[in-house]
Amino acid sequence: MNRFDLLNKVQNILKDNLVICNIGLPSQELYKICDQPNFFYMLGSMGLSSSIGLGLALSQNKHVISLDGDGSVLMNMNTLATIGNRAPSNYTLLIIDNGSYGSTGDQRTFTDEKTSLKDVALGAGCKNVIECSGEETVNELNKAIDDKDNSYVIISKINSGNVKIDPIPLNPITIRDRFRKFIGKVKYL
Amino acid sequence: MKISKKIIDNLKKGGVDFYLSVPCKLLANMIDILENDKDVYYSAVPREEEGMGICAGAYLGNKFPCIMMQNTGIGNSVNAIVSLLQLYQMPVVFLISYRGTPGEPVGAQGGMAKITEDILQTLRIPMLHCSSEKELDKISTFSKHAKVVESPVAILCDFNLMKDDK
Repeated sequence: MNRFDLLNKVQNILKDNLVICNIGLPSQELYKICDQPNFFYMLGSMGLSSSIGLGLALSQNKHVISLDGDGSVLMNMNTLATIGNRAPSNYTLLIIDNGSYGSTGDQRTFTDEKTSLKDVALGAGCKNVIECSGEETVNELNKAIDDKDNSYVIISKINSGNVKIDPIPLNPITIRDRFRKFIGKVKYL
Repeated sequence: MKISKKIIDNLKKGGVDFYLSVPCKLLANMIDILENDKDVYYSAVPREEEGMGICAGAYLGNKFPCIMMQNTGIGNSVNAIVSLLQLYQMPVVFLISYRGTPGEPVGAQGGMAKITEDILQTLRIPMLHCSSEKELDKISTFSKHAKVVESPVAILCDFNLMKDDK
């Protein structure tokens, strides 16, 4: 299973939640599968998808899923300490761990060598850390959302590989405003 | 404490209700005030760039965020400022302890001090430079300005203004 297959599998869960989606191919693939106004596509700022989702979860009550990648979490690893200490129960970090920098030509990341993001997350103070296969991810994600008392970090171990895809045609302000309108924060649209 | 209290009062008057900091000794009193303030959210964060991301999310959730940091934090955050906050036009207040300005005892702080305003200017970020107490009165209007122009803004507080605020 690669990222595109996984996103197809979890799409119905994502549709019902606020989603912050990682830069590059993850966003492009998600856009192609099922574009929704409650999806915020992060077009720049690699590494910050988990952080944007955390800020959003701290600021309102709807459940937030940050879709992130192993390469991106490696770039902003302190995020796991902040999540471990501050994440509210309406927050889930789903790390799609394919051991590769998918958007830049599938170069190997350190999770394909010695680094375990599960161990890092546990050491950083995250309590509910699940490492699972792509097939198990739907089930684990549902459990995380149903648990109203705890936040979760789910690390979905899948294969690398991408589908051929176009950049997202939406302008950033459109992404911003339709997202804020969905959560009821923009009145003028 | 008087200066720190005035800064926080003015930020709150400007509508800021979500605060992060990467600590600095010049910000210590403000952090104390915020930790005991039940009306606003406050947390420390390990790195400024990460804080920019959390502020972006808070803005999407209808908070008005502020990140408190040393000027060195601007250097750590340039891409997050340009490719996230400015790309999506998100108002965030940067409350900056301006290390390396006269009075600073640590020579190593001088390097970033020399280029801080140039960086902010290059990024086209509106600046309010506070070197005396009376300038702090402008903070509430200046914060509101961030929302009007949908942009991050930077408030720089000089070393000598903050150092004796016991």
